[in-house]
Amino acid sequence: MIDTTVAPAGLSRRHLLKVGLLGSAFLASAGLTASLSGCSASMPQAGFAVIRESDLAFLRALIPVMLEGAVPPEKLPQAVAGTLESLDYSLNHLSPELLKLTVQLFDVLALPITRGPLTGVWGSWENASAADVRRFLERWQNSWIGLLKMGHASLLQLVMMSWYSRAESWAHCGYPGPPTV
Amino acid sequence: MPVPDLFAEGLARGWKTHNGSRLEHDLTLEADIAIVGSGAGGGTSAEILSAAGFKVLLIEEGPLKTSSDFKMQEAQAYASLYQEGIGRMSKDGAITILQGRAVGGTTLVNWTSSFRTPAPTLEHWAKEHAVEGHGPAEMAPWFEVMEKRLGVAPWAVPPNANNEVIRSGCDKLGYAWNVIPRNVRGCWNLGYCGMGCPTNAKQSMLVTSIPAMLDQGGELLYLARAERLLLDGDQVSGIECLGLDERCVAPNGRRITVKARHYILAGGGINTPGILLRSKAPDPHQRAGKRTFLHLVNFSAAQFEQLINPFYGAPQSIYSDHFQWDDGPAGRLSYKLEVPPLHPALTATLLGRFGIDNALRMEQLPHTNVMLALLRDGFHPDSAEGRVELRGDGSPVLDYRMTDYSWDGVRRAFHSMAEIQFAAGAKAVLPLHADAGYVKSLAEARRLIDALPLELYRTRLGSAHVMGGCAMGEDPRQAVCDSLGRHHQLGNLSIHDGSLFPTSIGANPQLSIYGLTAKLSAKLVKRLGKV
Repeated sequence: MIDTTVAPAGLSRRHLLKVGLLGSAFLASAGLTASLSGCSASMPQAGFAVIRESDLAFLRALIPVMLEGAVPPEKLPQAVAGTLESLDYSLNHLSPELLKLTVQLFDVLALPITRGPLTGVWGSWENASAADVRRFLERWQNSWIGLLKMGHASLLQLVMMSWYSRAESWAHCGYPGPPTV
Repeated sequence: MPVPDLFAEGLARGWKTHNGSRLEHDLTLEADIAIVGSGAGGGTSAEILSAAGFKVLLIEEGPLKTSSDFKMQEAQAYASLYQEGIGRMSKDGAITILQGRAVGGTTLVNWTSSFRTPAPTLEHWAKEHAVEGHGPAEMAPWFEVMEKRLGVAPWAVPPNANNEVIRSGCDKLGYAWNVIPRNVRGCWNLGYCGMGCPTNAKQSMLVTSIPAMLDQGGELLYLARAERLLLDGDQVSGIECLGLDERCVAPNGRRITVKARHYILAGGGINTPGILLRSKAPDPHQRAGKRTFLHLVNFSAAQFEQLINPFYGAPQSIYSDHFQWDDGPAGRLSYKLEVPPLHPALTATLLGRFGIDNALRMEQLPHTNVMLALLRDGFHPDSAEGRVELRGDGSPVLDYRMTDYSWDGVRRAFHSMAEIQFAAGAKAVLPLHADAGYVKSLAEARRLIDALPLELYRTRLGSAHVMGGCAMGEDPRQAVCDSLGRHHQLGNLSIHDGSLFPTSIGANPQLSIYGLTAKLSAKLVKRLGKV
């Protein structure tokens, strides 16, 4: 079952074809062929160097689940925004090959045709509940497909590092910050 | 009083440097000796060769960052000072690989632990890998020279509480432990060695050998990637370098051609074999990049009643070699025990999981100790090993394959660490594995560890000690270089870095690299003759 009612992910067929090795492996493993309607190619979202509009729905669903318990609910919107900012900075300094893999991972998560079968989240990420996101993460962690396990590990590391590199995360973990030299 | 920025002062005095990100046109640089890589091997070689009167050009892919740039902030340090923006990992993504990438190489970001190559390792190389002339007695004077040069001495200050766990746990159990020698002078005991030393106390190549080379009229080219060796028969005729953008991510279109009489590769494990592979250097026995080792690391966390504050104080000051040789040099996989410093960003990924689980673990950070085991890979035929390959864009990646033999070492290391942590008074211990939670007794920990499915991704694995891949040895069928670091196939090419090691070494490698490359450089000076 493929959800065709959600808003386009902002990715063109041409873009999909460029998804490359990881994406192809995902697609092949899901037994799917690409047939997306054409939309404009995806560019970095204003204010970001790497993160695209098509990545934001997923990341905004993922990050609050990752940070649950580490951030009081009233501060969550700022924490998500801060994590996105740090994540964008990290992604912008990755080697080109690692960035390519990460972008492919985001594509696979954004495209309805791969998202549904591979994540079990059949509707859009905007409508995914925290439980949906947790189920998806558990599914990838325990998948028989190495690439999905790798994707799971990458998402955890990228998000947790991004948040805990920020000074506003340190009160929770009792870190007073670096000394003055 | 602000810390004087030694490097900035030298630049003001007229040191000659070239910034590959800011070139207005392509460049040709000439020198007697061109060295690729400015870490332990490249920096040491540069100092010795320039002191002998040779004009040295040191080429570094990473940026030039100096003490005033080091702000002790994880995000900034990891993105700018580590290979691939700290994204480097094994090909399957299961092992995080920390290697420096800046002027000074990994010496800029290591935790200062300085051990001589263990005698059993040197003896094993002679016996099994046809390495000649580097026995313990022959190497001792070179280690001594470099210890003096870089201020290496056992840490005289009491260990921080994170390191104290090893000492007190081992004391209770009757296990051996000792104080770690560190390459520091006037250390402030801050704990931020991994983010660049803000006080210039760490005697990295940035504040020792590279300034010495620049004072001798040597030149430094940074933010420039040595893309390939230009070959002319059995000689290297040049190096083609690519200028990189300021982030050290993408080539900026500028090319730098380097011409020299002799060439030295010192990019370290993964990168040095990468250049050989990209250059299609003659390799009749297909040795380049093979037998790359990691000192694979697994981790065990523990919570204590008392404050540990594992983010402050000299990161590594106590170690245990109690298990290191417990089945001989080539028996079951054994390990050295140390601790890592725990700053929040890296710790959050180490402790694992997400949401409430991770938040509860992180909340206890000030009371948390983490121990690590450096698994001595490469001594036994069944050991895991890696092979360097090239990706589509020519960048190198390590395909490291685990084996049952190596997983057995991981499991025993989990047991040893938990035992020492409980002996030191831990309330709870957590082997860093996706299926483990904190357990409150050694008996519980033993049952948990025995039942853990040791698999990639579920087991948290890392490495900060890539070694091998261009092994030295007298048999060209086995080794890339001879025992003097001379490439077996190319006449005017040497390799002076940790990629020469035929196995991992059973100790943090910097002093092993300093000592060996100092010796190789002195021999090279003699071979090259008068300037």
